[in-house]
Amino acid sequence: MNSLVTIDWLALGPVLAPAAGAVLVLVLDALAPRLARLHFVVALLALLAGAALSVPGTVQPADRPVRTLCLPAPEGACLYEAGPAASALQLVALVAAAVVLLLAWPGAAPETLRLRGGPAVEACLILTASAGAAGVAAAHDLGSWLVCLELATLPVIALVALRGTAAAGRGALALLTTSLVSFAMVVLGAALWVLATGQAVFAGGAVASALADAQRRPVLVLSVLLLLAGLGFKLSLVPFHAWTPQAYAGGSEPVAAFLAATSKVAALAALLVVLGPLVAAQGPVLVAIGIVAALSMTVGNVLALVQDDPVRLLAWSTVAQAGWVVLPLSAASALSVAASSGYLAAYVLATLTAFAVVHVVSTAPAARGVGADRRTLAAYTGLLRSHPLLGGALGLALLSLAGLPPGIIGLVAKVLALRPVVDAGQWTLAAVALVNAVVGVAVYLRWFAVTLRDPDRGPTAAVVRRVPRSAVAGLAVATLLLAATSLMPQLLLGLVD
Amino acid sequence: MILVSLVLPAAVAVWLLSAGRVVSHKWDNRITVTATVLTLAAVIVAVITRPEVDRPWVPALGLRWHLAVDGISAPLLLLTAILGVGVVVHSMDRQPSGGTPGAFHACLLLVEFGALATFYARDAVLFFVAFEVVLVPMWVLISRFGDPHDRRQRADAAGRFVLYTVFGSTLMLLGILALVVKAGTADLDVLARAAGHGIPVGTQVLIAALLVAGLAVKVPVFPLHTWLPPAHTTAPTAGSVLLAAVLLKMGTYGLVRLPLATVPDGFQRVAPYLAVLGAVSIIWGGLACLAERDLKRLIAYSSVAHMGFVVIGIASGTQTGLQAALFANVAHGVISALLFVVVGGLKDRWGGTDLRTARAAVREVAPRLGFALVVGLAASLGLPGLAGFWGEFLAVYAAWSPADDRPLALFRTIAVVAALGTVLAAAYALRVARVVWAGERREPLIEDSRDSEWDVASVLVLATLVLGVLPGPLLALTSGSVAALVGGGP
Repeated sequence: MNSLVTIDWLALGPVLAPAAGAVLVLVLDALAPRLARLHFVVALLALLAGAALSVPGTVQPADRPVRTLCLPAPEGACLYEAGPAASALQLVALVAAAVVLLLAWPGAAPETLRLRGGPAVEACLILTASAGAAGVAAAHDLGSWLVCLELATLPVIALVALRGTAAAGRGALALLTTSLVSFAMVVLGAALWVLATGQAVFAGGAVASALADAQRRPVLVLSVLLLLAGLGFKLSLVPFHAWTPQAYAGGSEPVAAFLAATSKVAALAALLVVLGPLVAAQGPVLVAIGIVAALSMTVGNVLALVQDDPVRLLAWSTVAQAGWVVLPLSAASALSVAASSGYLAAYVLATLTAFAVVHVVSTAPAARGVGADRRTLAAYTGLLRSHPLLGGALGLALLSLAGLPPGIIGLVAKVLALRPVVDAGQWTLAAVALVNAVVGVAVYLRWFAVTLRDPDRGPTAAVVRRVPRSAVAGLAVATLLLAATSLMPQLLLGLVD
Repeated sequence: MILVSLVLPAAVAVWLLSAGRVVSHKWDNRITVTATVLTLAAVIVAVITRPEVDRPWVPALGLRWHLAVDGISAPLLLLTAILGVGVVVHSMDRQPSGGTPGAFHACLLLVEFGALATFYARDAVLFFVAFEVVLVPMWVLISRFGDPHDRRQRADAAGRFVLYTVFGSTLMLLGILALVVKAGTADLDVLARAAGHGIPVGTQVLIAALLVAGLAVKVPVFPLHTWLPPAHTTAPTAGSVLLAAVLLKMGTYGLVRLPLATVPDGFQRVAPYLAVLGAVSIIWGGLACLAERDLKRLIAYSSVAHMGFVVIGIASGTQTGLQAALFANVAHGVISALLFVVVGGLKDRWGGTDLRTARAAVREVAPRLGFALVVGLAASLGLPGLAGFWGEFLAVYAAWSPADDRPLALFRTIAVVAALGTVLAAAYALRVARVVWAGERREPLIEDSRDSEWDVASVLVLATLVLGVLPGPLLALTSGSVAALVGGGP
């Protein structure tokens, strides 16, 4: 007897490897609870295996994606379909998670900053959320799409809450509430999708026929708008962004980095899956995306300009960058998907590097007599001179986010994101982007200028005495990737094309 | 050779920033001088042999390393490479204040790298990327190594510089993207050959307006010039020289390369407005110079006025006008470099540049500096026989008889206004000469120019004289490419 669906285990690797890793970590925790480092090694290997397995998908031609879980003919729809852009997003999400894992390595941070529940729980949650992120990028039916989307979100709430402080509790609560609201919207949108297209699969044909039908068209448009709103929460797009600074500032820096990197990749990947069949111009949807993009950029940049806590600054910068990420999607252009994924990948690399530096500066063992709050910009005074490598990495990350050479990858990403907008002749949106490019430069240069000052006036020289080795590894990976892609942007952009 | 002249400064800059941090100022300077001299040699060879480099860089964007030299870029490349050596030699016995010498020299090298890459670029998007490279090093030069008196003023000037230019260059990027999307290629040679065929005139006007507006910030043209005076005033001497002599040229070079060459029909509609703003720049800059009390800021305003002539030349649409613009570009590069070396030196000696403070007459106490200052001022007012004359004379002439498709009456008015501007130039140059140079006071005594400063100043004085007496070679260098761009015409 033939099985109902065909399964290609290797193709499912990017999702299965982290998921299996999570189970393995739990088993190990039961057998040998004291070997915390071993848990992390297993977790790291699982993530790297997943990342390696996602590479073949990035080199496939766009019209022949990696497929599996296919229903038998005649329908032949596949529930798992990863084109080059989706595979690239999987790769970025898993590599980002690996860097986060290195930053959160047990024993690196002082005891007071450890999460409750022990390292095994932490590693397991990171792995689960990564599996969800990898899954949602390739999910091709509503059921697995919804499950993976929530799988990518819920563990992060726990990660924020596990820090155990009051601020973490507030952040987790904000995240939980918004997740619930967004889940409600997404489910409603999914229901309307089924109503409009008659299928629970994201397929171009059914969507086209629904669009052609005057009665079903508004239902589909409403469904997409609801899905967009729900995903807007996860991407922290204005007006669904309010949780972002709270959750970032509440969690530890590695968790904030995870929220800013892997979670964002999951949300954008989910959005691209929905918009994929909708490539044909969709007036109201495109206008909605455009408005949301413009609002996010403006609000995010303006509020980032007045922050003094680097984590909050990065949180607001995430809001602004999320606007840039969806900006190309507002133009119904063949370039949009690649542009959006490419911009996201560049942003993830830069923001990970920045978070890694923030983590090191905030938690590295302090010299005697330095008890001051290190989550202020003033703590970075003279970092470039007192710690050239930390300062250099931070500088490169900030300039990439600002889109100024030597952070060429950021500049190229901005060109990439603006091209579809100009192509579609959306000059209003282009004008908003222009203003925000300038404000964005002001945001990041403000921080960069602090690192350039004379070190003797700030406390940093004494603050960072010794940097934990695992954090250095995470920082080095992120920085080297950033530097390599700045020299050869094709390394990154070639993945999504 | 093109690649050598690009890789060399960039590599040395990276080395200075990383491994070279511990090296002393003296050795930093020696290494940088060697690097810039070798770069100059490579540029000279490239200008003579005219090689071409073309290899893909970011296929996802269609971005290529397409670099070449032609008559339009050759003078600017030479100017950049020569001044690159000049500013480094100038800082030989002057320890930069405010940061490590390694960072200072690395920033100078990176600015040179960015400017050379901009002038080499034959790909519109690469042009934009190279255009942006100079921003951060120049920002560091102004905010870290600038005027040591006032940190807030430094931060303000540097921030204003970088935000204005980012605004301009992003505007230019929108224009470039529109052009590239419409024309289907980013190759500037192909775009120039197509000269906008196949693009509707309305779109051409839009593209030209975006490009002109974006580049006008960099030039700068009134009313987008307000970043320039504070940036010039605050920057260290080497930074001011590079800013005036090289960075502003990137703006005018871009005007020739992008709107004028690629969308001529659109540029034709925008040109009258540009010319009017150029004329306003001349008058505004001249008037500001008459009233300005800070010597360094005064020289900065005079740059605004001089760039007005260049803009008018470009806008006239004739071969003469373009030749005049390119000549005035180089001449202004040399003259402003000279003036900033002298004025920067005076600022270091005086501790300030307020013209109201009574000081010893430079003629009496520092004859060499005084001589260089007078030559610079005389060239700046457009005295025949010095570099400033030809460019401005020809620009006014070109505005008097513009191309057939330009409004004649308007351009004639502009020519008259520009000619009045030269009178203003004479007035402020003489004012400065009277206040600073002439007089009998000998107190407080200042040291005269010597060593590296005097070497650089004397080379620039010589260049001013040579360009003034023998404009032929430079005009001949540009004429071929200019004829190809404008085609026929007077």
